Amino acid sequence: MSEITFVDALRITIKEEMERDPSLLLIGEDIGRYGGIFGVTKGMLDEFGPQRVRSTPISESAIIGSALGAAMTGIRTVAELMYIDFSGVAMDQIINQVAKMTYMSGGAAKVPMVIRTQEGGGRGNAAQHSQCLEGLFLHIPGLKIVMPSNAYDAKGLLKTAIRDDNPVLFIEHKLLYAAKSAIPDEEYLIPLGQADVKRKGKDVTIVTISYMVTVALQAAARLAQEGIEAEVIDLRTLVPLDMETVLKSVRNTNRAVIVHEECRTGGFGAEIAAQIQEEAFDFLDAPVARVGAKDVPIPYTEPLERAVIPQEDDIVKAVRKVLYRS
Amino acid sequence: MATTIIMPKLGLTMTEGTIEKWLKKEGERVEKGEPLLKILTEKINFQYESPASGILRKVLYKEGAVVPVTTPIAIIAEEGEALPEIELVKTQTPSPEQAPAAAARTEAKTTGKRVFASPAAKKAAEEKGIDLSSLQGSGPEGRIVLADVAGAAGKATVAETKLKAAEKVIPLTGIRKIIAQRMTESFRDVPHFYLSVEVDMSAVLNLREKVKDEVEKRAKVKLTVTDILVKIVASALKNNPIMNSRFAGDRIHLLDEVNMGVAIALEDGLIVPVVRRADQKTLAEIASNIRNLTKKAKRGKLSLEDVTGGTFTLSNMGMLGIDMMSPIINPPECSILGVGRTIEKPVVEKGEIKIKPLAWLTLSSDHRIVDGAAAGFFLNRIRELIENPSCLLV
Repeated sequence: MSEITFVDALRITIKEEMERDPSLLLIGEDIGRYGGIFGVTKGMLDEFGPQRVRSTPISESAIIGSALGAAMTGIRTVAELMYIDFSGVAMDQIINQVAKMTYMSGGAAKVPMVIRTQEGGGRGNAAQHSQCLEGLFLHIPGLKIVMPSNAYDAKGLLKTAIRDDNPVLFIEHKLLYAAKSAIPDEEYLIPLGQADVKRKGKDVTIVTISYMVTVALQAAARLAQEGIEAEVIDLRTLVPLDMETVLKSVRNTNRAVIVHEECRTGGFGAEIAAQIQEEAFDFLDAPVARVGAKDVPIPYTEPLERAVIPQEDDIVKAVRKVLYRS
Repeated sequence: MATTIIMPKLGLTMTEGTIEKWLKKEGERVEKGEPLLKILTEKINFQYESPASGILRKVLYKEGAVVPVTTPIAIIAEEGEALPEIELVKTQTPSPEQAPAAAARTEAKTTGKRVFASPAAKKAAEEKGIDLSSLQGSGPEGRIVLADVAGAAGKATVAETKLKAAEKVIPLTGIRKIIAQRMTESFRDVPHFYLSVEVDMSAVLNLREKVKDEVEKRAKVKLTVTDILVKIVASALKNNPIMNSRFAGDRIHLLDEVNMGVAIALEDGLIVPVVRRADQKTLAEIASNIRNLTKKAKRGKLSLEDVTGGTFTLSNMGMLGIDMMSPIINPPECSILGVGRTIEKPVVEKGEIKIKPLAWLTLSSDHRIVDGAAAGFFLNRIRELIENPSCLLV
């Protein structure tokens, strides 16, 4: 057991998987000598050589297209998109090719690839480097979406994602890279589609993912001082989506607050809220609440950025509202 | 010949009456003029005397039933005589526990209002057998939420346990029930405001000493301070017509007659018989009138006439040793005056301490009709007359 950061957890996982599967290939911008902008692939070039650790020109289409081609021919590939914002460039490859190949080939072509990328604000990176875009990809059948909230989950989930024969979009959060977790020495895998109750509570269900788990847990701690016991569910993966855990909790608490960093309109919260009312209508004592970013591009200046991205306060207020205490 | 007894219409506004008690049983003989049953209207308890002699062959409604006026309630006939066929008007005698829920249901149905409740609250109410329309929602725009249903369920349990634990339960019937209804309405709907003055009662006590023998000679009754106050207030009302008024929704009725209600405590409650045109009566007439009404009240013999038409109420709690009171207005009147006990107190007058009999007066008024200034002017006029009753002659 050792305490390591999120970045270290990712690096160790990739290294272990590279060793486990000699054909596993890494591809992306600046991942070789530079070691990736967050240092996830540091040392990989020296250890595994330029055949398996490929730095590319600045062309997201080429990265994803090449990775797809390799995967279809049986070479498991981890492609890195430096910022999820840049997926825009590779959108045709992702939504028209990667997501559809298995289906259009009648299952003949497997696509064992992971697109690793990172998203989120809070670092003053402005509108083109701070977005959360999971909602876009959630709308595309054929992609699995994984969004770990801590180093431990990141390791277990990335292993499963790499070994999966379907394309997986693995979205990290830039504010989580330095966060530490205790990681066991022995290998472990976390299945996709299994939410994790990060805090038990009986009064309200907070459904969230990725960095917002941290914020939601802070909000829950504050709410506890008011006598409100919030249950915090970390979905961990959006596809597959573990609604069972969510519904079980909502049936118990009678209220739900969905928190995500992507903007409210068309965010995954809308989908979860819809499923809650479909499956647990009789259990709701208040409308399902959604906390999301305001529907504007993320501002550069720090106070404005904070105003747009959900904060602890916003979650506390939403919880009070569904409990009719505001 | 068979006589059909109907629910009498005891007053212009009476639409229904409650059969409080049958004084004769079915099959029992009753003579004309003998008390047959007690009827309760919104205003009084009334003892109904049999209009015919015979056998009480049929009692059509049980005690507690609320029956519309002119509806047949019993048949008196001779033994073996054929009885007329009478169709019963459907009334129910609700048990006290069922009554409110039943009423709430009917109301919800007739108003056809949609009840807004969260899905979870609806489900919980169904499981617990709670009628949602009987609940007040605490959520946004009155939405009924889980907490309201849980609260109602909790309350029911608490109330039941309390009832079980109580050593004696007094059912709310008769005059108590009417007082409960009317005072609740008044205190809830009428914006009360209170003005108080401490008055010097020397002159009134002097007056009583001076004229009590004369009153006793003329009217054969002892003159009381209350009698004098009735006269004084009636006179003040005549000079302040706005205080002698009624609130009627979108208008205010100023009344010509000054009819003084005088609160009388009975064993089972409070009744307010009325001294009609008190402003035109002499002290002897007022004293005799009040004594008469009190006697009738204590025997339960007050007629509807005796207790209706009041335009102002006076409530004197002095004899009970109360210093000061804030009475609830007797609707639809505009005001009520509460009188406390008279007690000797030191008073500073022109730099000297004197001992004087003082009493507190508190006037409760309906702010929809009058404001502080008008009520204050009126109360000051009462003070003037109390401290200088000779003005009554002017």
